[in-house]
Amino acid sequence: MKMGRELTVTKGQDAIATATAEAPNAGGHKEMNCAEFQRDLPLIIDSGGSVLQEEHLRTCEVCRGLVNDLRYIADQAKLLIPMLDPSPKVWDGIEEKLKLEGPIKPTHARRSL
Amino acid sequence: MENRKPVRAVEPAEELQVMPSASAVSPQLVHDPNEDQKGHSVPPQKRMMASGMSEAEAIERAKQGDGGCFEALYGMHKRRVYSLCLRMTGNTAEAEDLTQEAFLQLYRKIATFRGESAFSTWLHRLAVNVVLMHLRKKGLPEVSLQETLEPTEEDGPKKDIGAQDQVLAGSIDRVNLERAIESLPPGYRIIFVLHDIEGYEHNEIAEMMGCSIGNSKSQLHKARMKLRDLLKVTRAERAGIRK
Repeated sequence: MKMGRELTVTKGQDAIATATAEAPNAGGHKEMNCAEFQRDLPLIIDSGGSVLQEEHLRTCEVCRGLVNDLRYIADQAKLLIPMLDPSPKVWDGIEEKLKLEGPIKPTHARRSL
Repeated sequence: MENRKPVRAVEPAEELQVMPSASAVSPQLVHDPNEDQKGHSVPPQKRMMASGMSEAEAIERAKQGDGGCFEALYGMHKRRVYSLCLRMTGNTAEAEDLTQEAFLQLYRKIATFRGESAFSTWLHRLAVNVVLMHLRKKGLPEVSLQETLEPTEEDGPKKDIGAQDQVLAGSIDRVNLERAIESLPPGYRIIFVLHDIEGYEHNEIAEMMGCSIGNSKSQLHKARMKLRDLLKVTRAERAGIRK
């Protein structure tokens, strides 16, 4: 898996929201540390980070490993497909209740989901 | 909602088997009926019932009270609805009850389906609402939803700072991931399932859960962090067994 795809570009509200943590101080460019990066990670991991966040990710092996792991988990989760059928008793229960309720009556929708 | 996992095709031959056999009494691990022989996707509107009827026709007939068509719709969608319920609750009995409730609600509301979204999208949103309603009645872990993005002492990302460990890549199999998800705290599990498995966006989750988008992101992150810990423990245990 390639690193940094989601974190390569500064964009959107997430980057704006985290900008305060990385504003240059009076002495010039402020480097981001692991605590600052990981504090902001929930907001940026899926949407993209700032230049400073990107820079930290490029240079910090620990944070890079963390981001890699989290993305790997998310990627693997996307591959999970439904594997189990419900027990036949589920349909039996539905059928039983439907008999009590009678046929579906067409109605005019108030609102579709 | 546009980035949902595609609904896969149901082969007509498999559709003949959708009616459950009365002799079976427990969930069975079976081939996914939504996959065709080659695992290729087919657009939902082209899915066909055993009779050659399209899903759209079955929906229209079910709206008119055709029980057979409703049963066929159940056959087409039961697996994904049940999986959703099972993953969100982590409990087989609850998942079955909620699957039943979701389809009963479908029966009562199908006449309101106007085709503005895909039927599967509409049905799964209905099922999510059924599960969330149930969890609220049970006492949904509201506390975790009130958490802010401020890290706490007991969890949060900071424990990783300075630590270096072997990466997970390549070490997760489906069974271990499913088990790890099942053991997540309910608040984490629900948001992880909705976002990472079902493909809902944070704004949709926030609306459904009644929390902020920031909370949804925070919970998802904590869920992934917790899964990472669980999967590393599993990997270490497996490595220990091999020694």
